[in-house]
Amino acid sequence: MKREYHIPTSSFTEEIAALSGGEVIEKCIQCGICTASCEVARVSERYHPRRLIQKILIGKRKEVLESDLPWLCMTCRLCEERCQEGVSPADIFQLVRALAAKEGFVPKVFANAVDLVLRDGWLLAASYSDFIEDEREGMGLDVDLHWDDTFVQRLKAMFLGGA
Amino acid sequence: MRMKEILLYRGCTTPVRLSEYESSTKIVLKELGVDAIDLVNANCCGAQFVESLYPRAHAALGGRILALAEQEEKDILAICGACSGSLKHIKHLLDSDESIRKEVNGLLAHEGLKYTGKVEVKHLLQIFNEDIGYRALEKAIVRPYQEVRMAAHYGCHVTRPFEIVKVDDPENPTIIDRIIQLTGATAVQYTSKTQCCGGPLLAMDEELATKIGAGKINNVIRAGAHGIVTACAFCQIQLTQTQLGSESTVINRIPIITLPQFLGYAMGLDYNDLGLYLNPISARHTVFRTAGEVA
Repeated sequence: MKREYHIPTSSFTEEIAALSGGEVIEKCIQCGICTASCEVARVSERYHPRRLIQKILIGKRKEVLESDLPWLCMTCRLCEERCQEGVSPADIFQLVRALAAKEGFVPKVFANAVDLVLRDGWLLAASYSDFIEDEREGMGLDVDLHWDDTFVQRLKAMFLGGA
Repeated sequence: MRMKEILLYRGCTTPVRLSEYESSTKIVLKELGVDAIDLVNANCCGAQFVESLYPRAHAALGGRILALAEQEEKDILAICGACSGSLKHIKHLLDSDESIRKEVNGLLAHEGLKYTGKVEVKHLLQIFNEDIGYRALEKAIVRPYQEVRMAAHYGCHVTRPFEIVKVDDPENPTIIDRIIQLTGATAVQYTSKTQCCGGPLLAMDEELATKIGAGKINNVIRAGAHGIVTACAFCQIQLTQTQLGSESTVINRIPIITLPQFLGYAMGLDYNDLGLYLNPISARHTVFRTAGEVA
């Protein structure tokens, strides 16, 4: 017997469903176990994963891509663990983030962190002080962290259009 | 006995903000027959940030780390949940998607590296559970805790999604609890045990992240624990700093201790060698108050 789902028809849903890993959005029955499981939703009036998925289902493309809500998911995957339909809000919101990034909507903290990683090869080069070096030396740990900063230049050229 | 060798992928956060976790991991594992060797010339795994903006670049970052380990013919040990989760996701992706594997290998070919899927990524909890085992851990305890009650915090990216990370039961994890018990302490159960520390939200909204962390801390305090044992650099830092700010809503302060520090002390290792003096919320007179003689 062929399983039947509630399949919304918004073009935004179809756009997400066409991406690898995004097809699960069509299985969402809006039961709300994601919001009930969500630590962010517990402390925030704004971010409720069920509501955000619903906005995608009904086709609020511009509103969702320009919003910071998809960036508030902690990807803790507790909701995914509990969803009996196999929907992963974390995966869906990651796809939404990448889509938003393509269209130029990226929260500053994310843009800054990516800039650092793709410049230095790692995130915390600027925070690595002499004080920490001394502390590490005292513990018998390597002071030179041996990060590679050349591979990221190649990634920039390939994925960001120029080093 | 021949030492088992594994490559330690330190990640970005641990060596800068939590050297005592790195150091105690190495000391404790060496005592238990595992030599954790630094993986050098690595790059950031790209978790959360690169992952969100450029998924294919994220795959390349992780793929390069895995390929470096292949070159050394050793498995990878990650002690941060974000790193272990990210590397396991990328391994899963590269093993199942030929086109992305080809793209990554094209990028790696410049430096003579290749990803073929030969090495495993293990989180620290797996080393204890799978490589060392509880019998050996039990034998190593020479200074058991007395009347110490500890709460285990596992870390979301360490245990979920199970199909990819394969560490412990995601709804009822037990590895840290078992280790707490065999050190002579009591593993305390508390509400919200498998819930997030709030760490991944720090960059976007520190206020919300702190509320989430404080909620967890208060649940642990209400359950009557003396401290929390962690197995992720991010969780360790977040659960500590969520208690320190002037805006913090915790009902009391409670020490946060990494698993190798907690275990190492029961194994008779020195308080200072384990870097316990660096933990901002001291456990000197609570958890380690029974600093008894080494048997």
